[in-house]
Amino acid sequence: MHGITKLPLGVGTPLLALALVAAACGGGTTDRTLDGTAAQIYDGQCASSADRSVTIYSGRTENLIEPVLEAFACETGIEVDVRWGASTDLALLLAEEGERSRADVFLSRSPGPVGFLESEGLLGSVDAGVLELVDEQNRSDTGSWVGFSGRKRVLVYNVDDVSTDDLPESVFDLTDEQYRGQVAIPATNGSFVDWFTVFRDQAGTDVASQWLDEMVANDARFYPNNRAIVEAAGRGEIQLGLVNHYYNFQESTAVGDEHRAENHDLADGDIGSLLIITAASVLDTSENQSEANELISYLLSAPVQRYFSEETFEYPLAAGVEPAEILPPLTALEIGSVDFDALGGGFEETTAIIEASGILNQ
Amino acid sequence: MIPRVARPVSWPLRLLGVLATLAFAFPGAYLVWRNFTEGADPAGLLLSRNTLGPLARTLQLAALVSVSAMLVGTSLAWLTTRTDAPFARFWRVVLPLPLVFPTFIGAAALIRTFNPGGMADDVLSGLGVDRTPELRGLVGAWFVLSLFTYPYVYLPVAAAFRQLSGSLEDSARVLGDGTWRIFVRICLPQVASAIAAGTLLVFLYTVSDFGAVELLRYDTLTRAINTNQLANPPVALALSLILLVLAAVVVTVERAASRRLPEIGRHRASVTVTYPLGRWRWPVTGLLALAAVAGVGGPMIALVDWSVEGLNRVATGGRALTIDGGDVIEATVGTLQVSVLAAVAAVLAVLPVAFLVGRHGSRTGSVANAVIVSAFAIPGLLIALSLRFWTAQSSVAFELLSDTMGLLIFAYVVRFGSLAMGVTLVAVRSVPARVGDAAATLGAGGLRRLVTVDLPLMAPGLAAAAGLVLLSVMKELPISLFVSPLGYSNLATRIFSSFQDAFVAEAGLLAVVLVVLSFLLSWFLVIRRAEHL
Repeated sequence: MHGITKLPLGVGTPLLALALVAAACGGGTTDRTLDGTAAQIYDGQCASSADRSVTIYSGRTENLIEPVLEAFACETGIEVDVRWGASTDLALLLAEEGERSRADVFLSRSPGPVGFLESEGLLGSVDAGVLELVDEQNRSDTGSWVGFSGRKRVLVYNVDDVSTDDLPESVFDLTDEQYRGQVAIPATNGSFVDWFTVFRDQAGTDVASQWLDEMVANDARFYPNNRAIVEAAGRGEIQLGLVNHYYNFQESTAVGDEHRAENHDLADGDIGSLLIITAASVLDTSENQSEANELISYLLSAPVQRYFSEETFEYPLAAGVEPAEILPPLTALEIGSVDFDALGGGFEETTAIIEASGILNQ
Repeated sequence: MIPRVARPVSWPLRLLGVLATLAFAFPGAYLVWRNFTEGADPAGLLLSRNTLGPLARTLQLAALVSVSAMLVGTSLAWLTTRTDAPFARFWRVVLPLPLVFPTFIGAAALIRTFNPGGMADDVLSGLGVDRTPELRGLVGAWFVLSLFTYPYVYLPVAAAFRQLSGSLEDSARVLGDGTWRIFVRICLPQVASAIAAGTLLVFLYTVSDFGAVELLRYDTLTRAINTNQLANPPVALALSLILLVLAAVVVTVERAASRRLPEIGRHRASVTVTYPLGRWRWPVTGLLALAAVAGVGGPMIALVDWSVEGLNRVATGGRALTIDGGDVIEATVGTLQVSVLAAVAAVLAVLPVAFLVGRHGSRTGSVANAVIVSAFAIPGLLIALSLRFWTAQSSVAFELLSDTMGLLIFAYVVRFGSLAMGVTLVAVRSVPARVGDAAATLGAGGLRRLVTVDLPLMAPGLAAAAGLVLLSVMKELPISLFVSPLGYSNLATRIFSSFQDAFVAEAGLLAVVLVVLSFLLSWFLVIRRAEHL
């Protein structure tokens, strides 16, 4: 993929998008236009059916991704079929379906399930031109996946129980006595497992394991996932929690003032500020490789990246789109410049460390 | 009790029994086969600390939930069918409803209602209670799962109570026995097999549950399976097989034990005895209300609160909902379609087995029965994976079956056929042999006897069986997501999509629709019918 000349981001994306639209609109347009959220992404006339289709297995939630897919189908005339589910479950399903799977594209909420599919040899490669729409650290070296939005690790806290002066700078501070029994850890959740694997990679397995053991000794409490922690922090059941930034935005939008929790950014460069990306990949057995790549590049186009930033409160990764102002600023160091490919077997050991730490019974 | 004479089995009936065994064996065969291909080592893993801990916790939880669901389900069944408790009809429709909550949202809603900072806390703090206790761990999981599983006992036992002959009770009363004594000595023994079958289901469901134990943070075998599925597939597969073997052992033990239980009286009750509650009338009403408030009201309070919050937000110009009326209707239709079809299919699938066991004492029947019931302990995700796996083994099967409604219904039947099994068996046994014999003497053929004699007499039991499957299919998630045709959605899948990213208003609204729909379905399809017949 290094053989291909890399266009500057700002030029490449519109050019590519244009080329795609031109290719797709060969069949002409219809009178149909979109309404609702999808129209914010594409407000032109829909292309007539191109007799092409793409099947997606999506670990990203229907409520958020459906408008994007509607816009894609309208703009390109490509029919979109989706199977929804949790990313890990879909990865298992793909493994059991094997080469007969009808899936063309897999959208994952976190890198772990993608790594699993890669180790099973089920992933093909995303086109170089699409890969290069994002910075190097947000795509796979082997071309097997590309990030299309980011969620930052933060510390969620209950605003009534915790004074802002008492908030820590680093995850390492959380082992202090003052936080005893106050911190929730989503220890079995995909994004935490990914985060912990990166933590091991960056700081060394000894340091990471010791941190977890000290958290357990400090009576850190186990919760199954980010959403459960954010919800509990909003009620004051738990004071602090290590989560993705994204859930507190969703929860407070949904519940309003009743929700008494906010995000706290740990220091720039702290491992607790890692950006976890959501990833797209193409199945090796896909018979619709070009449609699959068109779809992924559509996810990385400016209107969709803007949608991710403004409507779903995520960090855009491409097309020169700036994060929405409401999001905490990202610094260069925070980007998850981590080689998940190198961590191929890393998840097995991460899981073993987490199980052995005793956090699951706290 | 009338001694049973085993009668010869006709070959079509035996064939149906064999087919049912094979159909329900798909998931188990998948687990065995995949353990083999992945080189998993279930025997070696069984004694490791990482297995024994979750295994012991699973057993502990399942045992506790079984006992409490048995007590609650049996007493509620007796109170609503055999006493003059006020509003009996209403309770009969409401009390099975906890079954319809998918545990991942039902447990979350109960937590939101009862846990610190939740709605009960707000109310109680006005009464001077500082902080409500936190539902979590063993106690939390026990409480929540007891609420969500007692209908597995309630429905079959209520059906059995309604079929009880009143004559023995009348005699006992004439001889001077009090209500309690009659209940313990006459009624209870006669419904014991229904209680045992229902309690077994509670045990197996608890073993298979992940949604509730996950949210209540109780570390069981399903958690260990889930954690290892991607990170270490052979371990996850080995643990799944251990779970299945555990289920098979428990089912076998229950079968052996319940063989000693007396069977339900073989006299169809023309008139059942109703016990006047007297001064207990209102305390009993309070008790029934308490069960309904905890099991249905508890989750509903949070669900309605989420919904109202969302509607308020939209009304005041906040973020729009991510679902519209069309989505709700599509999802409702999806739910209705599959749940009714699967309920009927499940009863039809287990009926031949029930005849084999109940009327012929056939060994084919006992094997089929054990396989069907054991399958209930297998988590839905594994059943979905197994069916996708088997169909993907041949291109013909894959082209023909994958992404079809047929396969979807089949998967639900495999998942929930066990629910229909026990109740159907009780129904078959409740038909007095001499009625069939009389019909045969009069020249009625087998099929005619089935339609004109057996089915009408078994109707209340079959309706209860269908009801159990119906309510369970309505909440089922992994199969609905992964075995369905592309583009299929129902209320459970929509609730899941909304809930996982904290679209709680959408999830709440859809869950309210699910509960109302199940209320209406139970009313029209199950309860009313069961009473008329």
